[in-house]
Amino acid sequence: MRNEKNIEANSECGLRNVECAMKRTLEIRTGPIEEIEQLAQRHISSEAGAVIYFLGIVRGTEEGKTINAIEYETFQRMAEHQFNLLFDEMERRWPIESVRLIHRVGVVKTNEPSLWVEVVAPHRGEAFAACQWLIDEMKRLVPIWKTPVPKSQTPNPKSQ
Amino acid sequence: MQVTVNFYSYLKDLTACAQATEPLPDGSTLDELFKKLSVRFPRLEAIQKSILMAVGLDYQKGNYLLKPGDEVSLFPPVQGG
Repeated sequence: MRNEKNIEANSECGLRNVECAMKRTLEIRTGPIEEIEQLAQRHISSEAGAVIYFLGIVRGTEEGKTINAIEYETFQRMAEHQFNLLFDEMERRWPIESVRLIHRVGVVKTNEPSLWVEVVAPHRGEAFAACQWLIDEMKRLVPIWKTPVPKSQTPNPKSQ
Repeated sequence: MQVTVNFYSYLKDLTACAQATEPLPDGSTLDELFKKLSVRFPRLEAIQKSILMAVGLDYQKGNYLLKPGDEVSLFPPVQGG
């Protein structure tokens, strides 16, 4: 049965003539991830019983060396395409209500979030499984690369 | 035919460029393109096994038949998150 949520999601999923029950939001951006802003934008239906969200943080060390930041590079059009393929597969595997994902690119300082993922589902099992799977597959398939910025090197503010 | 090749991450350092064009005989595969690129950019050969290849926005294997105007991307293993 189509409801208002499904119709809204259908217009956002990027697929034509296909019913998309899972609402998806994707941002690959240079700006910071504001958790409070993201939480305020959360929409859940009366069917939702689980919300999982994951925050990936830049560690202060990389391969045993102290770093100031990580500079992320992406092939953005392909990254968006690959994320959408993963969302399609996620929707086939689990009854997910919505997924929102933000990945930063450019320079991200240590202790700042580089990744924010939220999965809303009817039950915790599928929410945990889908979130874990999505992050694992992202690390395997989405063209994003990182370069550590050593402690001795000041991050380039133009890249932030 | 001619194809455009984009390099990402440290492949840009290994080739000293972000993009190259390569003339190829019709019916060439991605593997054949890589062989030509390895001659032009010898530092690619040592890391061939770890290099990922895409045409347009999708991953492709070495036996992929290239078409005129194809945009090929070569890059190292991805590291998002």
